[in-house]
Amino acid sequence: MSALIDFIASHRAEFIARLGEHVVLVLASTAIAAALGIPLGILAARKPSLAKPIVALANLAQTIPSLALFGFLIPLPFIGGIGTRTALVALTVYAILPVLRGTITGIQGVPATVIECAVAMGLTSRQVLTQVEWPLALPSIVSGLRVAVVIGVGTATIASAIGAGGLGDYIFRGLAMVDSTVILAGAVPAALLAIAGDAALALAGRIADPRRRSRSAVAALAAMLIVSTAGALWASGLAARRDIIVGSKNFTEQIVLGEIVAQVIERQGLNVERRFNLGGTAIAHQALISGGIDTYVEYSGTSLTAIFNLPPSTDSSVVFEQVRDRYAALGVTALPRLGFNNTFAILVRAEDAERLGLKTIGDLNKFAGARAGFGYEFLERPDGFKGLTVAYGLQLAGQPRTMDLNLIYRAVAAKEIDVTAGDVTSGQIEAQHLVVLEDDRHYFPVYDAVPLVRATLLLKHPEIGEALRRLEGAMSAAEMRRLNYAVDGEKQDPFQVVRAFLDKLETLYAKP
Amino acid sequence: MLEDVSIAIGAGEVVALVGRSGSGKTTLLRLINRLIEPDQGDVIVDGRSTSAWDPIALRRNTGYVIQDAGLFPHMTVASNIAIVPRLLQWPGAKVIARVDELLTMVGLAPATYRDRWPDELSGGERQRVGLARALAADPSLLLMDEPFGALDPITRSELHVEFKRLQAALRRAVVLVTHDMAEAFALGDRVAVLFEGRIVACDTPAVVRTSSDPRVAALVAPTSAKATVGQTRPVPPKLQGSEGG
Repeated sequence: MSALIDFIASHRAEFIARLGEHVVLVLASTAIAAALGIPLGILAARKPSLAKPIVALANLAQTIPSLALFGFLIPLPFIGGIGTRTALVALTVYAILPVLRGTITGIQGVPATVIECAVAMGLTSRQVLTQVEWPLALPSIVSGLRVAVVIGVGTATIASAIGAGGLGDYIFRGLAMVDSTVILAGAVPAALLAIAGDAALALAGRIADPRRRSRSAVAALAAMLIVSTAGALWASGLAARRDIIVGSKNFTEQIVLGEIVAQVIERQGLNVERRFNLGGTAIAHQALISGGIDTYVEYSGTSLTAIFNLPPSTDSSVVFEQVRDRYAALGVTALPRLGFNNTFAILVRAEDAERLGLKTIGDLNKFAGARAGFGYEFLERPDGFKGLTVAYGLQLAGQPRTMDLNLIYRAVAAKEIDVTAGDVTSGQIEAQHLVVLEDDRHYFPVYDAVPLVRATLLLKHPEIGEALRRLEGAMSAAEMRRLNYAVDGEKQDPFQVVRAFLDKLETLYAKP
Repeated sequence: MLEDVSIAIGAGEVVALVGRSGSGKTTLLRLINRLIEPDQGDVIVDGRSTSAWDPIALRRNTGYVIQDAGLFPHMTVASNIAIVPRLLQWPGAKVIARVDELLTMVGLAPATYRDRWPDELSGGERQRVGLARALAADPSLLLMDEPFGALDPITRSELHVEFKRLQAALRRAVVLVTHDMAEAFALGDRVAVLFEGRIVACDTPAVVRTSSDPRVAALVAPTSAKATVGQTRPVPPKLQGSEGG
């Protein structure tokens, strides 16, 4: 708990901005859902033939998993893309059903005799609605809004995956770093926010009920609304003063790379907003193309195959040139490669490598009785295990075991298996005393780290291009592994790790 | 459902509509304030066909009381009574004075009842408030649909006395729907008996009580034989057949 408080205290400004974004997302989406759902609910309550299809549609929308809904919205014009607007659309979709239900239940729950009396006394149909049906349905509508707010606070955490910010940033960051303190920095405030939102609307419910209305409840609700609106606007205003938005995908190395790009730019005296933890390659790419972010670091092989749908290649320069040309056509500049190639690594224990003189993958045939274990994907893909045995003429003992990717490093260290295929830049390699066998036949495709920047930004701020070009070749796989391990293994703050790394680089540059 | 019905109600007169469930008495009542519209024929209120009235104005000029009063649960007693005067945009002070006057008139102390909520009242009190609400804007016509139907016998007879006292003072044209012949005889200046959508008798209680028409006699009989109140006398099958649908 004290670790959590320390974390929040040391990230105060960022935390407040994220919290503000979260509150704005929930308030705005609930308001839009109310503006749409309440009139629709009244209509549906009046015309039961309409109620069924409307509720069925809202129900259907509710069953779409939130990440799938975000993914579905990204390519759409106007409401799509990445960032706050798309998040609002998705959150509104989820908030409408409870509002709709509450309204329909509330209006239909007004006793028929009461309506009959109202009509017979000469209320116009508008007066029946405003003076009789509305006040009697209001408690039910408010409870619909309460459900919408609680759902909204939860779902808004996922909005982080499409770059809308919010407390989800911490949850995704923490998940990527396997750091429960960071996860809690998002999850605990989100839970408190849900409780506070529910309490505020419970108060609103009391005000809606004329029997329990009180001056103090009205005052308390008004105060809560003013404070949260003002606070949220102020907090999102903090985030508005920025020149460049730096993105990253949602795993540790990407966060470190994003932080490196961000700090390099900050050292040029520019304001940077971080939109880390974007939920995948397609989302990050879409964000870059649409201007949701200005820059992020991608891997050349990933761009080649996943974005441009070209066959993989093992030649670093060829891949880079192909990718660079295609990005140029999209208005994106691919800056020089950072130096490391984040491809598959065939790993053995350092002690075995030394004992048996293992240097290359081909040397594995010297390792009699070596037992292999791989992640499911590596076993299945044609450019994985199958091709590897052919390329190197490997003869391993028995069938390889299928294992969870997170466990393979430890499994080798614990001598459950002797050979595995991991990530070249995994911090676990040094931590578990493993070594990478050289791919001297260039079997694996290249995944060189390449900073991508929107060309228009480079025109406006040429100093960014200059600063990032200086990183060319500055990061070896060993350096990246060290940074990953510092964050993943030693639970250091990515900001501090990167700052120390850049300080060291600068002294290196300063020497000659 | 109603067919060939013709009935005139004079100012200050109470006409009780009686009949079994489904005989059309509530339908007839609702035709008067245009809650439903006639397929054929005409309803004339204050010398003017209701189709010529603005329905909203017509209803504001017509008091309406139903079983269990139909009070608005989200409004206090005073607010319930004040609805029509407020719709008519009476000045605030006049509304407040009128509410107190009406509460006193129906036998409820204003100071005690003004700020109560409908669910804090007994059935009889609710019905008194309902009556006060119907009378609020001083309508010339009062429509009452089973107004005392949900009350226990003692409360009901208390309210009968109260109603007669009020009517003696106010002299409104009243149409009162009831399925209770005793109530119709007690309150009505005239009693109209509805049978399958037609008026089969319409006269003073004394005349209706002695009617030889079997359709009327079947309704009257249980009231005269006190011992059988609450029991339904079987109707001879022959009569039902001859009346048709």
